[in-house]
Amino acid sequence: MRSPDIFRAASKGVTVNIMRSFLTMLGIIIGVGAVVLMSAVGQSMQGVILSQISSLGPKSMVIFPGQQEGGPNAVATGHDSLTFEDLRELEQLKSIESVAPIIFVPGITSYEKEEGSPQVLGVKETYFKNQNIFAATGRLLDESDDQGAKSVAVLGSDTVTKFFGSNDPLGKRIQVGDRHYTVVGTMKPIGSQFFQSADDRVILPFSVARDATGQKYLNMVTMQATDSFDIALEDVKELLRRRHGINNPKDDPKKDDFVVRTAAQASTILGSVTLGLTLFITTIATISLIVGGIGIMNIMLVSVSERTQEIGLRKALGATRQDILLQFLAEAVVLTVIGGIIGIVGGITFAWLLSFIVRHFLSTYLFAISPVATLIAFIMAFFTGLIFGINPARQAAALQPIEALRYE
Amino acid sequence: MSFSSLIQTVDLCKSYDNDGVVTPVLYDINLTINRGEFISIMGPSGSGKSTLMHILGFLDLHSTGKYLFQGQATASFGDDDLARIRATRVSFVFQAFNLLPRTTVKENVMLPLLYHPTIPPSEREERTLKAIELVGLADRKDYYSSQLSGGQKQRVAIARSLVTNPDVIFADEPTGNLDSASGVAVMQALQKLNDDGHTIILVTHERTTAEHAKRIVHIRDGRIVSDSTDFQRAIAGKTEQLK
Repeated sequence: MRSPDIFRAASKGVTVNIMRSFLTMLGIIIGVGAVVLMSAVGQSMQGVILSQISSLGPKSMVIFPGQQEGGPNAVATGHDSLTFEDLRELEQLKSIESVAPIIFVPGITSYEKEEGSPQVLGVKETYFKNQNIFAATGRLLDESDDQGAKSVAVLGSDTVTKFFGSNDPLGKRIQVGDRHYTVVGTMKPIGSQFFQSADDRVILPFSVARDATGQKYLNMVTMQATDSFDIALEDVKELLRRRHGINNPKDDPKKDDFVVRTAAQASTILGSVTLGLTLFITTIATISLIVGGIGIMNIMLVSVSERTQEIGLRKALGATRQDILLQFLAEAVVLTVIGGIIGIVGGITFAWLLSFIVRHFLSTYLFAISPVATLIAFIMAFFTGLIFGINPARQAAALQPIEALRYE
Repeated sequence: MSFSSLIQTVDLCKSYDNDGVVTPVLYDINLTINRGEFISIMGPSGSGKSTLMHILGFLDLHSTGKYLFQGQATASFGDDDLARIRATRVSFVFQAFNLLPRTTVKENVMLPLLYHPTIPPSEREERTLKAIELVGLADRKDYYSSQLSGGQKQRVAIARSLVTNPDVIFADEPTGNLDSASGVAVMQALQKLNDDGHTIILVTHERTTAEHAKRIVHIRDGRIVSDSTDFQRAIAGKTEQLK
């Protein structure tokens, strides 16, 4: 029997009872669909994380005050280890291209009767460059705003919508705490950074924020390396340890009173998240494909029993053991391959729907699929058919023609 | 021993062994069938006529004795050799038609060609249509087997049996499931094939069916009791000197 004939006979066997074939392949459909969906979610999440990293730039790093255990979440809780003196020396480092200090300003923000709690930051003009932020309307803050301690503000896109709706906010005066600021510009949407919206922000000049809070330390410093990222990182650590009197020759981050977060670290975290996700997906795939495979084997055994007379007839007409073996094996493979294709289409559809929904909450969550995971799921489905189909196919091939013809 | 004979058996015996219980079915069958013959193997139920047909048609193996097909001893044939002979040299028409369900007339008739090692796929369509036409079902070629009458189904089975142009066609009670009119039509179709030169071996216990053959071999209790071209003697089951 030639290959196209085997394939045709197998396809015929599968399409004769479509409902049963569909139910048989359900395990494979769910298994492959789950793998495709999960890998697509993983891919989209990678995209989200990468967007966080790339929004800061590949050579970017962030310094938070406080110890490692506190982590970046401790930034607003009163750690005061990063001083203005530190900042001045950091600005002198040749390996650092630009330094952007940040002070968080507490307090309720209001405009007329509307009140809200956007994140209020005091920054220098370098902040916008470091964070790849561009003006949507008006202008961003410049050096003169800082030096002149002007009571001006730039708003994020969500903040504009919240306080002004579709009205133009430029020239309007908003209140933060007990001070008033004139809106001079708005920022183009950024999306989220570290899973927080970066668009619900009020940006004030650094000197104004320092004056408003009375703070003598920094909440955060973002930096861009000039050239070599590693050298910049070493320079920063060395400088801060020297200034803070920390003896840390073994580079133990727990001894430091500051934390440096880098894009490279984020990539490492991303790598471990990806690995975890891959293991998770592989486990799901293996379990569901084994379950699906057992279903296939069960139905194929029933099918061999039901079609014993057909097998006898085919043998009477000249089919060899190999012809029958290949036909039934091909049927199992056709079942799993069709199941795999349906699973892939279903998984992609669900992933698309999910991205459609999640995008409303997380704007950087974009629809993405993992071609490698999809291909692996498909190949696994193929081999599931092959492995679980072999036993029923062998049973069919071993039937003696006359016994099979007499079978009732 | 004549090598011009198509089929020759010498003291052929068949017995079944079920867990040590040996049941003999055929005893010392000596039979020679030449090309172009139309033979009817007759006998009551359980006489061993179907077993003989299955052995001659390579669906089953004999236990002792010799079976020569076109002068070649078949005892050493393996599974694949037997399958190849079934694909190329012999074909069957069964009592229960044995058509594939949910499959068209054309697909059913074409089925043996899928297993034929030398007929190329390009010839399949032409051979199939020709076989269907020969049994007078050209206008039903796209019908499903479930849409046909019993007689039509058996004619499809006959078309299927001749599509590979085999040396011999075995028909096992071909009219057993048919009304008399359909039975006559089926036998006429087989007779026409014989007129065209096909060798036909018919197994039946029906006298009216056996009458279409030119030679009748009568079996009783696993032995040939008559082998004659004299219809009356053969039907009577009288033992005559075997050829």
